[in-house]
Amino acid sequence: MDAAPQVGCHLRLALGILLATCLSANTFYLTVAGLGGEPEYDQRFGGWASDVEKLLKSSGDSVVLKGADATKARIAAVAADFAKRAKPDDLLVVMLIGHGTFDGTEYKFNVTGPDVSAVELASILDRVPVQKQLVVNMTSASGGALASLQKPNRTVIVSTKSGSEKNATVFARYWIEAMRDVTADVDKNEVITALEAFKYAEAKTANFYQTQNRLATEHALLEDTGHGTAVKDPNPQNGQGLVAARFALIRIGEGQASTKDPAKRALFTRKEELEASIDKLKYQKAAMPTGDYRRQLNALLLELAKVQEELDK
Amino acid sequence: MIALASVLLTAATLDDCHSHRRYGRMQQSSACYTSLATSPDGLTRAEAFWGVGDLKTANEQFKAAHARNPKDPYLKTRWGRLFLANDQGSDAAQLFEEAMEIKKEYPPAILGIALVAAERFDRKAVEYAEKALAGDPKLLEAQELIARLALEDGNPTKATEQADKALKLSPEALNAMAVHAAILQLEEKDTSPWISRIAKINPVYGEAHGLIGHIMVLNRRYDEAIAQFRRALELDPKLWSIRAEFGINLMRLGREEEARQQLETAWNNGYQGNSVKNSLVLMDSYKRYDTFRTPRTIVRLDKKEAELLRPLMETELERAITVFEKKYKFKLTAPVQLELFPNHEDFAVRTMGMPGLGALGVTFGYSVAMDSPTARKPGDFHWASTLWHELSHVFTLAATHHKIPRWFTEGIAVHEETAIYPDWGDRLDPEAIKAIKDKKLLGIAELDRGFIRPSYPAQVVVSYFQAGKICDWIVEKHGGFDKILAMIQEFDKRTPTVEVVKKHLGMEPAEFDKQFLAWLDTKVGRQVKNFDEWKTSMKTLSEAKQDELIMKEGARARDLYPDYVEAGNTYELLANLYVKNKESGKAIEQLQRYSDIGGRKPNVLKKLADLQTQENMKAAAAKTLNRINYIYPNDEELHRKLAGLYSELGDKSGAIREYEALVAMKPQDQAGARYGLASAYRSVNRIDDAKDQVLLALEAAPGFRPAQKLLLELNRTN
Repeated sequence: MDAAPQVGCHLRLALGILLATCLSANTFYLTVAGLGGEPEYDQRFGGWASDVEKLLKSSGDSVVLKGADATKARIAAVAADFAKRAKPDDLLVVMLIGHGTFDGTEYKFNVTGPDVSAVELASILDRVPVQKQLVVNMTSASGGALASLQKPNRTVIVSTKSGSEKNATVFARYWIEAMRDVTADVDKNEVITALEAFKYAEAKTANFYQTQNRLATEHALLEDTGHGTAVKDPNPQNGQGLVAARFALIRIGEGQASTKDPAKRALFTRKEELEASIDKLKYQKAAMPTGDYRRQLNALLLELAKVQEELDK
Repeated sequence: MIALASVLLTAATLDDCHSHRRYGRMQQSSACYTSLATSPDGLTRAEAFWGVGDLKTANEQFKAAHARNPKDPYLKTRWGRLFLANDQGSDAAQLFEEAMEIKKEYPPAILGIALVAAERFDRKAVEYAEKALAGDPKLLEAQELIARLALEDGNPTKATEQADKALKLSPEALNAMAVHAAILQLEEKDTSPWISRIAKINPVYGEAHGLIGHIMVLNRRYDEAIAQFRRALELDPKLWSIRAEFGINLMRLGREEEARQQLETAWNNGYQGNSVKNSLVLMDSYKRYDTFRTPRTIVRLDKKEAELLRPLMETELERAITVFEKKYKFKLTAPVQLELFPNHEDFAVRTMGMPGLGALGVTFGYSVAMDSPTARKPGDFHWASTLWHELSHVFTLAATHHKIPRWFTEGIAVHEETAIYPDWGDRLDPEAIKAIKDKKLLGIAELDRGFIRPSYPAQVVVSYFQAGKICDWIVEKHGGFDKILAMIQEFDKRTPTVEVVKKHLGMEPAEFDKQFLAWLDTKVGRQVKNFDEWKTSMKTLSEAKQDELIMKEGARARDLYPDYVEAGNTYELLANLYVKNKESGKAIEQLQRYSDIGGRKPNVLKKLADLQTQENMKAAAAKTLNRINYIYPNDEELHRKLAGLYSELGDKSGAIREYEALVAMKPQDQAGARYGLASAYRSVNRIDDAKDQVLLALEAAPGFRPAQKLLLELNRTN
């Protein structure tokens, strides 16, 4: 497997700056665990919501709705509260756990009281004036919500490829695992992006069915252009994933502290130049003799390491 | 040609054509059948096309004739025989059953059922053959079938008797003569008297050599089988079912080019049943495999898992070969070939037509085929135990020139599974318990039959268990493994089981059975006696709600049947309760017992390892996780955790091995895996390897700080 990063290499410099910007913005999190219908599912969904609550304790504004509190009215109220306080640079993450239904036309998220349709949810979220939104719909039949939710600057992740995959899903378990597993941070920048979490959870979900010798009844997809086809494997070739790769879901380290020190700006600039050169070189890999590629890459990586060493002093 | 033949042979009948064929007058039979291809009678036409080998048209003719006469049991039976000849047993069986619905006790249809059952090594084959003969005492084919089945069951005395009965029915009973020849072949005696007798009647009766070859296959004497099949086809190249069996056995011995040739020839001539189709599909799939050679091993692995499994398989093969060469005092004369199939259906193709074989592995001479660990759910089987089992077959078959009886080679193989480590192999299971309780274990004189033609569904697995225990008993009570070696040497002289037992154990079979059962009772008797009580206890547990009751009843159930480690076992149940009550030490104790007794579910073992790690029992945790390598190595988390533990424990080679396995799994976190490997290489001063890996880590994640630091350190070291 090629060890290239998830983003289009030639955009790395711009993306790096953008990511830094994202990290200084505030992130609003709304997690909703819907109705289980039976004690086993109530316990499972509630448990997952609690896990998210613990994970996001120190990560910005986080509201978790579960049980009797998970109603359409409360979802709208929380979103309205976020809308009042959010600035344009901020981010919004909405995670839905539970059961969904799809009748061929309309998707609904099962909550206490009246269910929330995908159209209603989209409308609620449209009123939160942030630069980027991430909606992670991890319910059964969530694929049926995609069309209503997709919009430019809104990354949508669904755990089923269509509304007809109606079985309870396991994707949520692995999405939450991604948020706390350092191995999900593939590029080791101490931030787990939406794309990294998606790839982690998608792979683990597929592996779950494979090792259990069960037919997979869920197939997660991602769409982040607002007008394209959701895909299982976002990459530069299919044009999906670029926005998700810039969307910082959760930070797991202190990596960005040094960027704020004016004395090290020159070093930081050099670091970014080197990173951009590395990305560009990797982009050209296929057209180069292997020996040349290795030599140039190694030289760049070594210099980058030295620059980082200086930055860390 | 057809018109001329019609003119020349206007008086010909099917019986005439069959007669020409029976006496090997192939040109005449072909002309005769051809002349009947335009007969006004549909059934005659069908038989005629069958006679010239045009099975497709024959089938169409049968279908049309059947449409006109759907109630004709003779027609149905003959059509069924066409399907049977074309390797379509299920379709054949349906027609035979329909015929019997119309005409109850119709011997030709009963014989048809017997033939279908015979292909499946179903006990019914003997029953139905005898029934057909009872219905028609002159039904030669039924009598010949009984003779052949007796030989398949490893009973040459009965086979001889039955073949002689067939010869009394007809002095031209060619298949009965072939049975006699097969018996001589088994005894490595001169078969020519019988072969000559056959040739005098039909000089091109290749079917005789086909039958002998079939018996040789069942006795795992593959080279002899191939020689017989080759001779059969020299006599009659249109014996498609024999050509198919020839191709399949060439494939088993790794002679793939010729195998493909033979199978494709059969296919292109209309013999397109599952055995040929699946074999060709399997051979096509070999392009997905890579082959790795060392002086003593040839390992063939699916490309997608080769990097991970190759080190494990090669290491384990080498270890087993070294141990066995010393133990069996026998040096292998060729490399051992091992094939692992990640798709169980592909492995199943390798075992088709072989009765009562293991569902996990099979050995053909020096060639071993097995399910890959990834072919099954994690914990379903222990690949290393299976590998040692199969490798022991390589030795016992080679040492006895394939003359070792089935029960003994399987018994030694099962014995070897736990001889190397007691927690490998299978535990005492409910099927074995039931067989012991119901007194269904076979006597030593007939144990082979338990593997070939089981009389109840679980008899094959029970026979494996019994044979293994017999070998355990011999080793424990009758002179150690040297006694096993002495018996192996005796079997190489073709001494029958009963004689070997008398000579080397000093007892008659009845005494053998008595003493063995008494010994077995000392080993498993308590669990067998407790079984019903255990079932009641487990039912109580399943309904219990209070922790205190579950704890008490769980411990009791565990002690009633300690070998039970399958779904719902009490070790896990108790451990979960102890975890809930925050009594980690006690939870560890339960799960350690589970592991020590042979429990092998990876998620349970990982739970044990996690608890051990939490209690700072790192060495124990590493040992627990390493067990999983021999069960289901296709687990990133396993390798990551084990690599970390080995690093902490200072086991540098272990850490390298595990990080290499992790990298081979192509994990999502490439940077982390390669950095770990780089650090492990660094710890043993493999500087160049460390550099390669750390650069690959940084290629995946250029900003990865620990990897950057390591790169700088390695650079300064250089």
